Amino acid sequence: MKTLFQTKLGALLTGVLLLGTSAAVAKAQGSKLQLSTLDHLAGKASRSVDVNIDERLMRIALKAFSDEDADERAVKKLVAGVKGIYVKSYEFETDDQYTTADVETIRVQLRGPGWTRLINVQSKKEGNLEVYLLMNGEQVGGLAVLGAEDRQLVVVNIVGPVDLEKLAKLEGQFGIPELGIEPAKTKKNDEK
Amino acid sequence: MNEDYLWDKSGEPDPQIQQLEEILGTLRYQPKPLRIPAGLSATRRRKYFPLLAIAATVAIAVLSGGVWLQLRSPEASIPAVAIASPPRVNPLPNPLMSVSTQPPVRRKPALVRHNTEEALAAKQQLMFALRLASEKLNSAYRRTQTPNQIKNQHKAG
Repeated sequence: MKTLFQTKLGALLTGVLLLGTSAAVAKAQGSKLQLSTLDHLAGKASRSVDVNIDERLMRIALKAFSDEDADERAVKKLVAGVKGIYVKSYEFETDDQYTTADVETIRVQLRGPGWTRLINVQSKKEGNLEVYLLMNGEQVGGLAVLGAEDRQLVVVNIVGPVDLEKLAKLEGQFGIPELGIEPAKTKKNDEK
Repeated sequence: MNEDYLWDKSGEPDPQIQQLEEILGTLRYQPKPLRIPAGLSATRRRKYFPLLAIAATVAIAVLSGGVWLQLRSPEASIPAVAIASPPRVNPLPNPLMSVSTQPPVRRKPALVRHNTEEALAAKQQLMFALRLASEKLNSAYRRTQTPNQIKNQHKAG
C-alpha cells in the first residue's frame, strides 16, 4: 500500500518530467512562428506564396546543392545549421485586404522571450518592415522578417542559427533569380 | 405376494420372478480383462490445422504487401510541401536540374527519380525563401539609412 509520501513524490516527479519535456519542446520550437493564422488571406490575395521547409526537407534540399559550384557551396554553408524556413507572402489587388489583427497574430509571438526587434521601419508610403532576431546567448537562434505594405504582406521565419551578413549578401548573387516580390518603385530606388 | 424379495431379496421369492432372473442372468456382467488385438497399432493423429492457418496468414500478408507496393504510385508519397502558388522562379544553372530535363540514357528507378525531384523542388523553395529574406533584410537596412542620418554621419565624421 502506497503511503501519502510516496503518492506525493510520484506526482511531483511526474510534474517535473512534464515540465522538463515541455521546456525542451518549447526551446526546440522557440523560433518557429505559427503562421497558419494568415492562411485565410490566400483567398483574397492575387498571388500568394507559402513555403514550408522543415528540418527533413532542409536535409533533402541540401542534397541537391552541388559541392563543385562555389556559389552553391556558400549557400549550403549558410543554411547548414538552419532547422527550417517558412514564408508566407500575399499580394493583393487593392488596399486594406488584411487587418491589423492579422499582423498582430505574428507580432504577439515576436514579443515572446528571446525575440529582439532589430529593425523597425514605419512608412506610410512604403509600409512597415520589421526584423526580429531570436538570441540564444550571443548566437542568433532564429530570424523573422515582417513586411506589411498596403497591398502586400510578407512573413519570413528562419529557424536556427543564420549569419545575417551572409544572408544580406545573398541578394542578387549566386544566380538567385529575381522574384518580382518587391514593388517596382523600390527597385527603381535600388538602381539609383 | 411378498414384495420384500424385489427390494432386498428377503422373504419368499415369486416363481415368475425367479424364472425371469434365470433367463436374464445369462446377460449379467461378466468381468473380463481387456484384450487388445495384436494387429492393432496405436497411430498418432497429427494436427495440421494450426500450421496451415499460420502458413495461410503469412501467404496472405506477403501477397497483400506485394499488391500494395504495386498499386502505390510515386506521386502518392510526395511530402506535403505547401505551396499555394508556386513562385515564378527561372531554372537554376544547376547540373542536377539539367540531368532531369535531358532524356536519360539509363532509366532510373522510380524511387531515385522521385527523390531527385523532391530534392530539386525543396532546393528551389529554399532558394526562393532565402532570396526573399535577403531582399527584405537589405530593404530594411536601406530604409533605416535616411538622408538625414547619412548627413549626420558625414558631419560626425
